[in-house]
Order: sequence, then structure tokens, then C-alpha cells
Amino acid sequence: MSVQHSTPIPALAGIGLRSHHFREILDAPPSVAWMETHPENYFGEGGATLRILERIRGRYPLSFHGVGLSLGSTDPLDRVHLRKLKTLVDRFDPALVSEHLSWSSVGGRFLNELLPLPSTEESLKHVCSRIDEIQTVLQRPLLVENITRYLTWRESTIPEGAFMAKVARSTGCGILLDLNNVYVNAVNFHLDPFDFLDAIPVEAVQEIHLAGFHRFGSMLIDTHGEAICPEVWGLYQWAVHHIGPRPTLIEWDTNMPPLSVLVEQAAQADAILGGCHAEVV
Amino acid sequence: MPKLCDIQQAFAEAIVEGTCQTATAAMAADGSALRSLALYRRLIRNNFVQVLRITYPALHRLVDDNYFGVLARGYIKKYPSTSGDLFLYGRHLPAWLQRIEASPLLVELARLEWACHEVYQAADSVPFPPDRFQAMASADPSRVTIQFHQTVRFLACSLPVHRVWQALQPDATPDVAISLPLPEEQTGLIVVRSCGAVQVIPLAWLEYRLLEALSQGASVASIEQQVREAEAGVDFTRLMTTLLQAQVIAGISLKEGV
Repeated sequence: MSVQHSTPIPALAGIGLRSHHFREILDAPPSVAWMETHPENYFGEGGATLRILERIRGRYPLSFHGVGLSLGSTDPLDRVHLRKLKTLVDRFDPALVSEHLSWSSVGGRFLNELLPLPSTEESLKHVCSRIDEIQTVLQRPLLVENITRYLTWRESTIPEGAFMAKVARSTGCGILLDLNNVYVNAVNFHLDPFDFLDAIPVEAVQEIHLAGFHRFGSMLIDTHGEAICPEVWGLYQWAVHHIGPRPTLIEWDTNMPPLSVLVEQAAQADAILGGCHAEVV
Repeated sequence: MPKLCDIQQAFAEAIVEGTCQTATAAMAADGSALRSLALYRRLIRNNFVQVLRITYPALHRLVDDNYFGVLARGYIKKYPSTSGDLFLYGRHLPAWLQRIEASPLLVELARLEWACHEVYQAADSVPFPPDRFQAMASADPSRVTIQFHQTVRFLACSLPVHRVWQALQPDATPDVAISLPLPEEQTGLIVVRSCGAVQVIPLAWLEYRLLEALSQGASVASIEQQVREAEAGVDFTRLMTTLLQAQVIAGISLKEGV
């Protein structure tokens, strides 16, 4: 296997790479700047999916967005999972590798859901040591994403934005800022989204996620199965102007639309990024 | 203040076993705790059901979404996930279906689909070079054994389940009619990957048994002997041709000291 060198991801919009669109992407590569995928989908030892990823890697800069490392779990770090991730990272050399600031397993039992950590000093110390360990194994900085939550831990003492900032400053990891998650949490818990956004260090934000949610009664659920709502576009405009242009992913995982819909949403993000670039020039 | 590990343990118990007291005590006292747990329980369950739908697509199509959901929820309760890699989830579904005495068709179909699932991502194999075959042609067949690729699964079925599997593929001819229940009929299947796609090759029962013996280290001569003794006609050359065409042979070796 020849070593491929990572192509940096430009501050433009990319789309999520899902098997639903493999054929279409290979036959008529869409005009987007980069693609992001879940590395767990390529943990197999061989087969067509790895070959497809190789072809796509040859054409687009790539980002890996993990969902299975259970960063905040108090169980020992899953060495098998980490080794598979490391093998894949070494093989494809993605420009960015990210995970979620969450936990999903305890006592060897995996719930395979992104669950919120109590924002405490104990959680902070624990998750930072795990990120340090992962960064050492991967030999590269990790980006860590803010998640949606549907509960509040009584013991939480550190505001979420401050918690994320402390994680980034302590470990040197980057921040993957998911604006849909910021919005969903703000609506569900009657928070001001700018409390979070103002608290995170601008220089640590290396990627932005945009996605859609589902309304379930009075709650918003982060399904990644709908178009991005106007309020999240509004937050994005704010973020691009205050944080600066960043690689931006249109994230869509369920209720998959035609590829053209993702490309259109990416073009909309590019228009906002382009406006910012023009102002800077 | 409860420790992080205790909070996580209490949450998992609330989700999986429904014992919510410790978890809710760690959550905001605004009356939302039980509703939050119910929501997470639903999200988590739906994720696993979706994973099983993806892993067992033909089974899902056969039984319809509602019944599949009932089966999946029963399985999820019995078999929690043990990895962050969801590709591994669902391995025990065929055995569990058998244990709950589900229809043999569902059991056999699930076994076939798990084999397909494993084969799809198995390590890539290098085709066996034909000239190596020719080099072995003059060897004593009682010493010749065949090794198969990792991408091959051998499956003995009590029903011709491959017909149902084939009819339930997205690209199946729509007018293929399958009469159910399937007749009981010992069938052997080879599950292979060819050009990235999974293929299921049915074999007559005797052919399958011979092939299975080969895969377990029997020599070519002993197989030829069994073919000669078989009452039903088995064409040994055709069997070997099938193996070659399916590119399932990883190597041929000579046993020492026979």
C-alpha cells in the first residue's frame, strides 16, 4: 500500500460520505471541497467499501469522524477499537480526525449512543487523560465535538462552553463545533446559544458541522435527517464572521436525500463562507 | 457527590434494566428525568433495531417492519452490544431465533445473512494462480490438500434458503414466485465474495459434504474415493471447476509422510 499524504481541508463546505451515495459519487463526482466519513464503517479487513474509500480519497480531501471510541467512559479505553482506528488513519491519512465529547459504554456494555458527561472536575480530568492517550496513539491532534443532550446532570458545575474550552486548552485538541447541537440544546433547555459560542476558544475551532433535527413534541432531536433550519444558518453566519471561515460539513445520516440536496446545502454554506472571504480580502 | 463511574453505571441500568432510581437521583430535579430516560431508551433501542435491519435486510423484508421490530427488540434485550464497532452487533441473532423456536426459515435466513455480512468485509484474497494447479497435477492425490480463502463460508442448511434470499435481493426479478413453506431439503451453500459483491452458490448435499471435508483437511484422493463410492452421481471435475471459478482456493499443499 502506497503512503498517501494528507491533503489539507480548505475552509469550504464538504459533505458526509454515506454508502447510499457511493455509486453516484464514483460515477459523477460532485462539486464539493471535501468529504467526511465514520471510520467505523471501514473497520473490516477488506472488501469493496475500502476500495471505494481509496478511490474517493484519491479525489477529495478526507476527514474521519468517529462515533465509537466512547471518550468519556470510565471503562478502560477500547484498545481494539483504537488499533483499528489507527490502522485506518495510517492507511488513509485523513486531514482531520474527530470524536465526540461523550461516553457510550460502561461495565463492558455499549449503548452506542452519544451520552453527555456531567460537567465536573472529575469528568474533565478523566476525559482529558483519555484524549491525551488517544492523541499519543494516533500521533496527531484529535478534534472533539460538542454533542446534543436530552438530560441535565445535577452534579454539573462547569458551563458547557467552559468545559469544552478547558478540554481544548488542557489537551491541545481541536474543537469540532456542531452548530445544530448548540441550537438543539439551547431550545431544549432554554439556553442562550451564545453563552456556549462565546466561551469556546476561537483558535481551537477547526471544523464546523451543520445538520438538521426532528421535532418530537416540544423537544428537538438531533437526527441528521432533515435540511438545516434557518436558525442554524443564522448561527453559522455569526460563527463564520466571528470565528472565521472553517471547513464546514453538511451532516446527513438518516432519511437520506438525493446527493444533489447535500450538494445544494454545501453550496449554501460555501456562499456564506465566500461572503466572509470577500470581506477579509 | 457520586463518582462518574457510578453515574454512568446507574444510567446504563436505567436504560437496559429500567431501574431508574439511582439515575434519576443524579439528574436535574425539575421533573424531566424520567422523560429524558424514556427518550434515551427509545433512541438507543431504535439505533440497534436499525443496525439489525441493515445487517439482516432479507429477513427484514421477509417478515415486514413490525414483526422485525418485535424480534429485534427481543434480541436487543438479551444481547447487549459489547463494542463501539456496530459491524459486530447481531452475531447471535440466528442462534437466538433458534432458541426461541422461530420458524426454521427465519433461522436459516439469518445464518445466511450473517455469513454474507462477514464475507462482505473479510480480508481480501489473492486468486490462486492456475499454473500452481498444473504443477500439482502430477502429485500423489492422497497427499494433496486444499486451503480456502478467509472470504469463504460453508453453510449447511435444512432448507433451500438461498432461493428465498435470492428472491429478497433488491435487484431480484420481481416475478419470481417462491412457494412457502419451503420443502425440507439438505442444502449446502458456499458464500463467497467476487469483485466486491457477495455471492451465494448452492451445491447438492453430497457435493457440499465433500467440499466441507476438503475444507477440513481431507485429501483430494479421499474425496475422489468418496465420489466413486457415492450412489448419487457426483462430477468431481465439475466440483473442482466450481471452486476455481468462484476463486475460493487460497492454496494447495502436499501432506508430509503419507
